[in-house]
Amino acid sequence: MATVIETIELTKNYGKHQAVRSVNLSVQAGSVCAFLGQNGAGKSSTIKMLLGMIHPTSGIGSILGYRIDKERESLLIRQKVAFVAEDKRLYDYMSVGQIIHFTKSFFPKWNHALEARLLEQFELPPERKIRQLSKGMRTKLALLLGFARGCELLILDEPTEGLDPVAIEDVLQIVVSLAAQGTTIFFSSHQIAEVEQVADHVLMIDRGKLVLDAPMDRVKEQYRHIQAVFPEPVEERDFRLPGIEKVSVAGRTVSFVASHNVDSIVEHVRMLHAGSIDVLPISLKEIFLEKVRARS
Amino acid sequence: MSMLLYKAWIETRVRFFTGLVAAAIVCIFYMEQHAWLVGMWTAELQNPHGYHMKWMPLGIHEYGWYLWHYLYDNYLQQVWALFAILFAFGGLIRERNGGTVLFSLGLPVSRRRWLFTRLAVALLESIGLSLFAVLVIVIGSAAIHQTYSLSQMLLHTALMVAAGVFMIACGNLCYTLFPGNYLGLILTLVLLGAPYLWLQTYMQHMRYLGRTPWFGHLDFAHAMAGPWQISWTTAPWMALLVAWTLTAFLLVATVAHGDRLDY
Repeated sequence: MATVIETIELTKNYGKHQAVRSVNLSVQAGSVCAFLGQNGAGKSSTIKMLLGMIHPTSGIGSILGYRIDKERESLLIRQKVAFVAEDKRLYDYMSVGQIIHFTKSFFPKWNHALEARLLEQFELPPERKIRQLSKGMRTKLALLLGFARGCELLILDEPTEGLDPVAIEDVLQIVVSLAAQGTTIFFSSHQIAEVEQVADHVLMIDRGKLVLDAPMDRVKEQYRHIQAVFPEPVEERDFRLPGIEKVSVAGRTVSFVASHNVDSIVEHVRMLHAGSIDVLPISLKEIFLEKVRARS
Repeated sequence: MSMLLYKAWIETRVRFFTGLVAAAIVCIFYMEQHAWLVGMWTAELQNPHGYHMKWMPLGIHEYGWYLWHYLYDNYLQQVWALFAILFAFGGLIRERNGGTVLFSLGLPVSRRRWLFTRLAVALLESIGLSLFAVLVIVIGSAAIHQTYSLSQMLLHTALMVAAGVFMIACGNLCYTLFPGNYLGLILTLVLLGAPYLWLQTYMQHMRYLGRTPWFGHLDFAHAMAGPWQISWTTAPWMALLVAWTLTAFLLVATVAHGDRLDY
């Protein structure tokens, strides 16, 4: 599969603050890739670097084979990539119809059928000025302007922020259907439930550092929560094994989060004479919290 | 391209129409005052103890000089310069403050194209404003039964715009450099307006006294006004060359700074 987004040691500093630290990521064509992180983790900075809105301090990156740090190539990227920013403010002096007309003039592959469908589905009145729209309606309009561009890659920064549950469901369905038609989706979010619902690849960023880069299936299959009770108190250093992401020792009870190598870990725990061993599935939310807490 | 021009136009059209009203007020006021001022100067010259200035006979007998003096060398030029700066106000920096810059930069349009589209609209609006003033002068002069050379008015208009592009470029660089929304505009108006008005007033006085200080070369107001009768030989070519060279430098600086900005 072709690589659509690739970064190598991508770094962004704002003065002394390191917003993005040596991020290496790779997004494959046709995937729905979720980019998870807390507020201020570096998601938006990474996306802005990908689209040439901010300049990387160091490192390189490419989208669809075009370098992100070259102005001319960045322009080609934006012809082939639809972007919906986190702050979905639009030109408030234009009407809904005017901004659609304005935006479509830049995209020759504009999807008129999808535009008409979304106008109806989102109940957007074409004559109404954007300044008269509610926040939710503005978000829907911004998403329409992104979805209908007919681009190969759709980058969404917190796409569902400010939407009600019904609208969130609608948006996720559209994302899934666009992905089914071959559009690659790269979206940032801190709404883990929606990520689990649509993403087939997950990236996690914490304080500028990429802490997880794996297919969703593998995350669900391989990540396990292991709990063991020992006859005698044990120490954390007894559990330094490949695959163990985090160990919590509370007297005779030990909890692990394992990213892989679960069978070997269980075998090792048995050899240490554990009385009971429970291997439990773990949700993406728990993995996210463990990753973030582990680095705190 | 046409949609970018359209966007820049709807963002600045209120300013443009306000500029038309301001230019019309200034032109109509001084045409309406012509008979009264000529009468006053005539009375002053006839009075041996009256106020005698070298230019008064010219003001009395030459309506063309009167228009040039009050409009192109002073008040219309000041109104035009103010609105030329206001037309250039905006762009990606202002959009950053308004929160729409990420939408704009997400479109396949280079930063330079955003900049030059905005400047093109500012220039077209400035030309429109100056031509509208000529129209007001044509109608107003007919109404007060005064004659003048239309070609001279058009030459003054052309000179005002040709030298005044410096104002547009300088204003645009200031907006790019100064953060903030209206703070940037106020700083720009103060930084450009104060020296412009001071130099204009001071140099008019110095010229009346027959002196030319070295900083007279920075008097862009005089470059925009030119002599009252413009011909190929009396046109201020050197001043125009300086204005255009500085404009080119300012544009290069604006582009270089704009390319490096993080949004």
